[in-house]
Amino acid sequence: MNVVLDALAFSNIIVLSSIGLTLTYITLKVPNFAHGDLVTIGAYTALAAARLLGITPYAAIPLAFIASGMAALASYYLVYRPLDRRGAGIVTLMIASMSTEVILRASLHIFADVMTTSTKSYWRGFLFREEGGQLTSYIVVSTITAILIIISLYLFLHRTKYGVALRAAVENPSLASAIGIDVDKARAVSWLIAGGLAGVAGVFMPFRTPTDPETGWALLLRMFAASVLGGLDAVFGAVIGGYVIGLSEVLGIYLLSGPPLNLSTAYRPAIPFAILVILLLIAPRGLSGVEWRRLLSRMSRGVVRSG
Amino acid sequence: MAELFSFLLGLAAFYSIYQMLALSLNLEYGYGGLPNFGKVMFFAGGAFVTGALLTRLVALSLGAPPDMVWDVSKFKIYNTLLATRGSGYLATNPLLALTLFALMLILGAGVGALLGILASYPAVRLREDYLGVTLIVSGELLRIVARNYEPLVCGTLGVSVPNLFAWAGTYSELIKVGSMVAVSTATVLLINIMVNSPYGRALRAMRDQEAAAASLGKDVVLLKIKTLAVGSAIAGAAGSMYAMYLGAVVADEFTPLKTFIVWLMVVMGGAGNNAGACLGALTYIGIDRALTLFKHLIPLPFDVNYLYYTVMGVALILLLMYRPEGILPERPGRLYATTEISSDSRGGQAAPH
Repeated sequence: MNVVLDALAFSNIIVLSSIGLTLTYITLKVPNFAHGDLVTIGAYTALAAARLLGITPYAAIPLAFIASGMAALASYYLVYRPLDRRGAGIVTLMIASMSTEVILRASLHIFADVMTTSTKSYWRGFLFREEGGQLTSYIVVSTITAILIIISLYLFLHRTKYGVALRAAVENPSLASAIGIDVDKARAVSWLIAGGLAGVAGVFMPFRTPTDPETGWALLLRMFAASVLGGLDAVFGAVIGGYVIGLSEVLGIYLLSGPPLNLSTAYRPAIPFAILVILLLIAPRGLSGVEWRRLLSRMSRGVVRSG
Repeated sequence: MAELFSFLLGLAAFYSIYQMLALSLNLEYGYGGLPNFGKVMFFAGGAFVTGALLTRLVALSLGAPPDMVWDVSKFKIYNTLLATRGSGYLATNPLLALTLFALMLILGAGVGALLGILASYPAVRLREDYLGVTLIVSGELLRIVARNYEPLVCGTLGVSVPNLFAWAGTYSELIKVGSMVAVSTATVLLINIMVNSPYGRALRAMRDQEAAAASLGKDVVLLKIKTLAVGSAIAGAAGSMYAMYLGAVVADEFTPLKTFIVWLMVVMGGAGNNAGACLGALTYIGIDRALTLFKHLIPLPFDVNYLYYTVMGVALILLLMYRPEGILPERPGRLYATTEISSDSRGGQAAPH
């Protein structure tokens, strides 16, 4: 039971962050390597709020949303938009994305070191400790937050006029701008939301594992696994992808580390990574891209032929 | 004076390793348009095979008990001792030491080439972004396996590697770095010959217009496989050299940050121009080594390397915006004079087909 709850909490973090990864991928068709560091920014915002303002980390969720959202917005306005306007190709955008990642991660390291020396307390490997039994409050809060965010994002994107315009703008920019939608603003809003959701995910991170400036980067490839599994062109595919990846990692290593295999638990990250590589090679468009009907008919035909 | 000398030796050693990495990426991306975002995987492959085999080979040839070599729980404890004993043994046997040096380079290149051929499977099928993610993840998978599967490089502890140049006595370091520079220079010459050959021209044609190159009868798929194999072999040899220079292999060193650094060198120096890639490598390594040397003199409350990464990241983004062709842009290839071409084509027509 403990393992299932832990898997659920871990999946909530993956889901919240990979929704944003998919959203930014749709806007510019570039994998945002810095998305993991936006999660770390959220975690550090919560830590700073808890230590300097003395509030509980949960109360810092809006602050984390703003901090990570602003970082994402800044990277859109300072890096991606200027490059996109200069007609940069995808490889150029990917190099820029890696550069942004390195800048953010190195800055977080500097921030952690400076805060450690100036406040004389540890800002690396920190945890938000909680009293209580198996069902600690963060598992409940992270699940409720994830569900609320998924529902409100769905309502926003599908039921409000602005949300529909936003989807139109990111999915088909030329057509959207032809009917008078401000594509640039829509993209900026997408990056803000994407970064903000990563920040919210970051608040829950230190409840679970010791967090340092590398934490988000270590999470990034799992988010990619979730986003690719759900289909990089489907925002809500990331929800399914995130839960599948998170559950299979935690429950998978729980099963593999027991008898008869007794595998070291340090192989844990290998599970989502292996899923991702296999997915990219077999079904790079994810679950939503698989033509299930054709696959089924082909399989049944194969059965008929072999029979 | 002695300090300056050892600084220059260290600079030359790291430069010769990163020059090979930068040139291999330049061959793949700069000339061939193949964005290899998994460079560290091939580098690690060469380092891991050297770490797994060199100490064991030397230990066996000097007559160490086999269980100390093959039993992982013992090898984990004794590998440093075996490497030290091995260095002493090789000090009296320069011929064996040099043979092992060459053998390790060849093995590293072989493992690199093998991984490169594996990587060409997604490379001919996937779009750049999917390919990039695939290669980054594959590199991380290799690192996770290496840090947990202890028989390879003793897991998180790492494995020691004997000094193959102990026979040179006080000149050991000088001759070691000299050999590395020689290997690296040979790579430069090899790549220069390759990119100016018909192969190199086909490579650039594929980069500029893949469909056009294919329509002229160039086998684009084979070209990609070959290029990734050659580029990865060079990276693998560099990895092997890295292991032999440092005298140790630690799996966790081989993170995607290494890939980024090689990209930084190539894009900053100028993709598609070997002189540019070398200049990029020299710039990065020069500053990096100087910072390591003077780190203790800089009064900052944090590690100055983080500041260096930040500055380099900003510089690269600015370069992508304002000078995407790099410091030394690609030059148009050496062309035949018009008369040469026309006489060539006449000769071609006269020859029976």
